[in-house]
Amino acid sequence: MSSITRSTRGNPWMYRGLIWNFARRDLKARFRGTFLGWLWSLMLPLATLLIYSAVFSIIFRAVPPPFGNGEPGIYVIWLLVGIVTYSFFGNGVTLAMPSLLSAGNLLQKIYIPSYVPVMGTAIAASTQSLVEYGILLVVLIVVGNVGLTWLLFPFLLLMFFIFTLSVSIILSVLNVYARDLQQITGVVIQLLFFLSPILYPLDQVPEEWNGIPIRAVMAANPVAEYIVAFRNLLYDLALPSGKNMLALTAWTVGAALLAWFVYLRKGQDIGEAV
Amino acid sequence: MTDVAVRAENLSKRFRLQRERRTAMKERFVRGKAPKAQEFWALRDASFEVPRGSMFGIIGHNGSGKSTALKVVAGIYRPTAGFVHVNGRMSALLELGAGFHPELTGRENIALNGSILGMSSKQIEQQTEEIIDFAGIADFIDSPVKTYSSGMYVRLGFAIAVKVDPEVLVIDEVIAVGDEDFQRKCFDFIADLRSRGSTVIIVSHALSIVSEMCDQAMWLDHGEVQEVGVARDVVDAYLKRVNEAEAAKIGLNSTQHFGLSRRGTGEILVTGIEYLDGDGRPTPFLVNGEACSIRMTYIARKEMSDVVFGLNFFNGSNINVAGATSAEQGHETVPVGAGMVEFTLDAMPLSPGNYSVSTAVVTRTRFIDLVDRQFDLTVRNGGTIPNGLVRLSGGWRRAEAELDPAVLEALGEPAEPTAEVGFASAPPAAAS
Repeated sequence: MSSITRSTRGNPWMYRGLIWNFARRDLKARFRGTFLGWLWSLMLPLATLLIYSAVFSIIFRAVPPPFGNGEPGIYVIWLLVGIVTYSFFGNGVTLAMPSLLSAGNLLQKIYIPSYVPVMGTAIAASTQSLVEYGILLVVLIVVGNVGLTWLLFPFLLLMFFIFTLSVSIILSVLNVYARDLQQITGVVIQLLFFLSPILYPLDQVPEEWNGIPIRAVMAANPVAEYIVAFRNLLYDLALPSGKNMLALTAWTVGAALLAWFVYLRKGQDIGEAV
Repeated sequence: MTDVAVRAENLSKRFRLQRERRTAMKERFVRGKAPKAQEFWALRDASFEVPRGSMFGIIGHNGSGKSTALKVVAGIYRPTAGFVHVNGRMSALLELGAGFHPELTGRENIALNGSILGMSSKQIEQQTEEIIDFAGIADFIDSPVKTYSSGMYVRLGFAIAVKVDPEVLVIDEVIAVGDEDFQRKCFDFIADLRSRGSTVIIVSHALSIVSEMCDQAMWLDHGEVQEVGVARDVVDAYLKRVNEAEAAKIGLNSTQHFGLSRRGTGEILVTGIEYLDGDGRPTPFLVNGEACSIRMTYIARKEMSDVVFGLNFFNGSNINVAGATSAEQGHETVPVGAGMVEFTLDAMPLSPGNYSVSTAVVTRTRFIDLVDRQFDLTVRNGGTIPNGLVRLSGGWRRAEAELDPAVLEALGEPAEPTAEVGFASAPPAAAS
């Protein structure tokens, strides 16, 4: 019956109700005071996708690989898989990172494990990306590119969520002690956009540039690995390569372990550090 | 289950005090690591046990480590050394409405805050209506809390907190802010919890509450435990120390005291005021309707004859509610030296609240010493709540007289009682 012991402190399942309430708070508060309210959570992703489609089908035209069903590929759809995946990570980290600082007053008054507000915000942030994935799936169904590999999509998404959440926990805890981290992360996330095969496939990148193995560097970043895997499942209707799956698992497990370590080392004294 | 609800052993908490915190990286790179942080122990080697179902008070002056002790017990701070073991579902009330989101409505915040305080969603669902009722803000419950007045905010926070029903409650007395009515609700809530067998740990400045409500108390000074034991004894020991320190201070600078608020020729100077309860024991406040004395201490620099002492009481709105002078008992001759005058009341007539007290020393011809509203007096509620600013004490008598039955008939039947009749308080005012 003892309420605060080491074992319950580090058990997110104990706090699932609270995490869910934090997520609901973020979702409700985001569009509060707007005329359209909840509609915005559908309209914002739609608008983002439309902007990218317009810009890249007029200005930046590349030849996409063919669909998995054998039809000629459509560049915009190929692009969208990359963009949605990238923004799942980018938005998640950007929104969840300041969540500990903004929950500071609360953490000084009531004991809750510091990962709780981060998880709540991460869940709220990823719902927008879920809507984006939903729109993407609808588009793919419309063009008739559907396959059995879609069955693996929820598992890949769950893994991606755990990876994004782990990075968010690491950064939000460290951000309390070194607040520039938020600015640096903003820049790094922007850089990731161009270091990932979003606009162009990896094989268009020169293998070596001034002695730097640039293609290998790009391919090694975790967001790039996830983009490749999501494209395989949704667009190419193929299974990701074993090497790719191994890399994803390593990144995700590594990030989760590091998040756990950072939480144990630094995340338990947030109440006095904020 | 053991009979100990909370056990703390050699509990210590060290803080690093930095003159500047280098949380920005530029500062770390450009100016190196922050200068070696000064360390101080906010809590040192505190050991205590709180038996199940009892109430435990923590007292001490500001900065003595009371709140740190509370936060360590509540799990908000991790102890630097030692450990605390809590048996039972614990809830901490250090601030009401902590975690309210300003954009969300009262109803939505009930769900969020209830879950922060550890209620399950089922419990919250069942109790939402009761919470709204108890807070008395039904008209505003679907408006964002950013539009609430601070009173409504606190009432809602409190209404949620009382539904948590913890086995161990850790509570900071500062939550009992607001009007007397609200304070009484807070203490009723604590009394109710105790009657259901819950354990309460409270940090309080109100020594009478600690000595009356608590079974045991701990007195902290600079993070170190001075005494742990029966609440009344601990409070007495603490008061004795405070009074000694106060007396020493006043003895030294009594003449410079009170600056511009002091007027008069100054042959006699009032050096302080003390409040005593009916048994003549010093007390930090007086209780409405109970016997008490107010003691003025003074230093006379010159012998004066025909001296009259006076007291004046001002309430929060600066209305001179009452006064008293020793003139009724005749004028006195005061010799050179220190002394004191006591004004004794059989029943404190002032209504519960906070007052400022002025002291006066005069003769027929001059103002010797006037200290204008420099002393604070808190009068607490004692049983019945009087209407008005003062309680009138007098005798009541009833007698019967002849009545023509025709008059009774002409008056008809008395009205049926309705819900509106009585002393119900006015509905809460809207937030501006």
